Amino acid sequence: MATSPGAVGSFPSPFEIATPPGCEGWEEMYPHYALFAEERREADEGRLWFWNSMHFPVPMPAFDVTSIDGPYYALGAWQNRTFAVPPAMGIDYRVVNSYIYISVNPVTDPQKIAERAEFFQKRAGHYFQNWDELYGKWRKKMEALLDELMALEVPRLPEYEPDEVVFGDANSSFYRVLEAYSRALRMSELMWQHHFEFLLLGYGAYLTFSDFCKQALPDIPDQHIAQMVAGLDVLLFKPDAELRRLARLALDTGLAPVFADGRTPGEIDAELATTDAGRAWLEELEDVKDPWFNMATGDGLYHYYRSWFDDPSIPYASIAGHISALSEGREIERPTEELARERERLAEGYAELLSEEQLGPFQELLGLSRTVFPYVEEHKFYCDYWFLTRWYNKIREFGGLLAEHGYLHDAEDVFQLSRHEVMQALEELVLHWATGGLPLGPTHWPPIVARRRALLEKLADWSPPPALGTMPEAASDPVTVMLWGITPERLQAWARTDEGATELRGSAAAAGVVEGPARVVRSVDQIGELRDGEVLVCGSTSPAWAPIFSRISATVTDIGGVMSHAAIVCREYGLPAVVGTGRATSQIRTGQRVRVDGTAGTVTVLDGDP
Amino acid sequence: MSEGHTRPLAGLRAADEGRFGGKSTSLGELTAAGIPVPPGFAVSASAFHAFLATGGLEERIAEALEGARGGDVGAVQAAAETIRAAVGAQPVPDVLREEIAARYGALARESGDEPEPPVAVRSSAVGEDSGEATFAGQQESYLWVRGADAVCDAVRDCWASTFGAPAIAYRARMAADRPPEMGVTVQLMVDAAVSGVLFTCNPVSGDPSIVAINAGWGLGLAVVGGEVTPDEYLLSKVTGEVVRERVNAKHVEYRPAAGGRGTERVAVPEDRQGVACLDEARLDALVDVARRVQRHFGSHQDVEWAIARGGGTPESLFVLQSRPVTATGAKEPAPAPASALSMVMGTFGAQVRDAAKEP
Repeated sequence: MATSPGAVGSFPSPFEIATPPGCEGWEEMYPHYALFAEERREADEGRLWFWNSMHFPVPMPAFDVTSIDGPYYALGAWQNRTFAVPPAMGIDYRVVNSYIYISVNPVTDPQKIAERAEFFQKRAGHYFQNWDELYGKWRKKMEALLDELMALEVPRLPEYEPDEVVFGDANSSFYRVLEAYSRALRMSELMWQHHFEFLLLGYGAYLTFSDFCKQALPDIPDQHIAQMVAGLDVLLFKPDAELRRLARLALDTGLAPVFADGRTPGEIDAELATTDAGRAWLEELEDVKDPWFNMATGDGLYHYYRSWFDDPSIPYASIAGHISALSEGREIERPTEELARERERLAEGYAELLSEEQLGPFQELLGLSRTVFPYVEEHKFYCDYWFLTRWYNKIREFGGLLAEHGYLHDAEDVFQLSRHEVMQALEELVLHWATGGLPLGPTHWPPIVARRRALLEKLADWSPPPALGTMPEAASDPVTVMLWGITPERLQAWARTDEGATELRGSAAAAGVVEGPARVVRSVDQIGELRDGEVLVCGSTSPAWAPIFSRISATVTDIGGVMSHAAIVCREYGLPAVVGTGRATSQIRTGQRVRVDGTAGTVTVLDGDP
Repeated sequence: MSEGHTRPLAGLRAADEGRFGGKSTSLGELTAAGIPVPPGFAVSASAFHAFLATGGLEERIAEALEGARGGDVGAVQAAAETIRAAVGAQPVPDVLREEIAARYGALARESGDEPEPPVAVRSSAVGEDSGEATFAGQQESYLWVRGADAVCDAVRDCWASTFGAPAIAYRARMAADRPPEMGVTVQLMVDAAVSGVLFTCNPVSGDPSIVAINAGWGLGLAVVGGEVTPDEYLLSKVTGEVVRERVNAKHVEYRPAAGGRGTERVAVPEDRQGVACLDEARLDALVDVARRVQRHFGSHQDVEWAIARGGGTPESLFVLQSRPVTATGAKEPAPAPASALSMVMGTFGAQVRDAAKEP
């Protein structure tokens, strides 16, 4: 029997969420298994679903579901079927009004947990003990996959097959199109497999160190724990470091005026090409681009997030910003030596205060965390940025092929179809290309694309509740704590926060208190709206946003812990940050004055009537 | 000057605790460690005995106590009043009086400014950890005392405080006949602009990386006596940064009384109540002192401190007393795990049950 309405704990039942007017039919964009369905109502109402705003802050286009399924195949396969994390299987997701809610499948049977613990100890132990060697192999696998992706050719459909089909070994174009698309899908799945290979174990080691510190030193600021572990020579800081170097070069060779405000990258390039110094600078830039322009402009899971290759306005704006800072005599380099000294000073300072029994585990755990952390930071560059931006571009090429034959109006429309629908469209395309018959695709797909675009646009205005369903009674699941910072305390706080409250609580991620006007940014294409001194309020940030951190005064996020990217970058820039507030983007409006207390972990809306 | 019943604080070490009591010897230790402590001298517990031996005081006390033995609250109260009247009426023996006056004179010359500098006179119990010390009026403090005669009177008042009714009842319960071993500390006053207490750990959570500070305006009485809600700070001992702070409305403060003797309790003007009484430089100085005090004693300490009016930081900061922290809210430490890896396993819910079976 289904749970009666109202029996659900502190959060709304997923079955009671209304569809915003005019958005009826949004379900058609998603697979049947991703919806809240009557058949599993009792089970789904009885568990907790939280909005994964960290990875999916805006409505999900049909094609981008590939970037939900892929991660959750891979996370579940590693966590549940490979390492067998004892109390937690994989993560289920559901779509509500185009937003993604997730929930972990717990293991409750003590016997099963014991059985899984045996597996876990053996298998995870192998990884921890051979980390550097395995991670070395991982980089090779990942680099090979990237090479393969960049070499993948999206074939065209010619009037007559080329000679190689007759006189050589080439396959027919219909097969090559379908094979290339299948291959592209398989590559994405392989990337997700690699993506999750080390991730849980890496976060787990860090979380253990963090828990140990909090047990031994109950008042230790989270930031100190993070600072002791965080790497200094991290891959993710390289792209911006290269931009700073290019800024210096431009200044030293008299090119600063070329980067005047308001110029597009195209205009800048054109003017640079007219002088020797300019051409030398452009050559230098070319060297930097591979691989550093594979940096994404967002967290990578949506097709919207392009790389610096695709959208050079972000790196160019950043270079211009660095040039103006330099010409005003401001220091722009990351103070790495100072950061290194601080890291050691903290580690030694805390070590001195611990008892003899505590010292050994402290140092071992710190060492292990430092060993695993490069992966946690670097996988983002390889997987989320480099691979995904290139991969979505390949899909755009398939979109281009469909558009060329009238199946879509524009290559970009391909993202309004599911990956299966794209295959279907391609299958019809090659069929009617081969037969010369009259295709239906050109009249079938464009209205579907138009309808879905309109739906996504309307659904962008809907504010998803932070959680749905029933508050869990059991102890916290290690995986959601590690990856999303969702602790029982956090859930309690979300449940307590009244609509319209003037104070939000989150994790104190970077110290300091700042007041300023809020700028709510719900997707990466809005970051251009940020003005100097504003408080960035967003779902979550990524290091790709680094250039904007020199303009803002503080950061507030809906989701994330003290090791989230927003937190790391804010500490580097000395900006206060409060992360994991649950609902900042739905409670704060652009233009409101807010006080961000990054020491206490609170955000206060100062001018009322929220 | 004879080394009879008194000694300069700077000359005392932990080993003298049995003669001079905890407060005086810890101040001696701090002075020796280079921590800024106002100069002063200590009166030994033997001085108390010498005093009791005069004028048949001991016998009169024994008699009064006999009357209170097994008696009710009223009888104990009556005995306490009888004894304290007797103690108050008995002059301090001349030899002792002269010795205290000489020490006080030397202190006046050392301080330089005035012939009768103000001092604090406080009890310094021997065996501070004993329950007896708790009841023996160890908290007795006489502040802003001026002149040798007044100092002698204050010393005698400290002795008299060991005969309070609760102390008598306690000793009767413990079947202890003799009064406690009680020294006295005489120390130059600091005209405090701000004062308070610090712990070299967080007394609530037990975190050893924290310096916990409570601070209020004026002399320490208001904070120590719980008469104001002080400004509260938790600072990182490692970096010195503020981990948590709360500035409260401090509505009263104690100052030297208008006539220059004793103290008075005055209201703090409203516009100053909510002002933080410690700035970054003062907090830095306090954290530094906390580190040094803890390092010197090798254990967590509860420190009373004062910042003198008109001086710069850190030279205006003085430690007035330090004693070991006896109880904190720290949870019982978990048994030390076998290895970091087994702890990581625990995070994933895969506790290692039998380390021998580990591959």
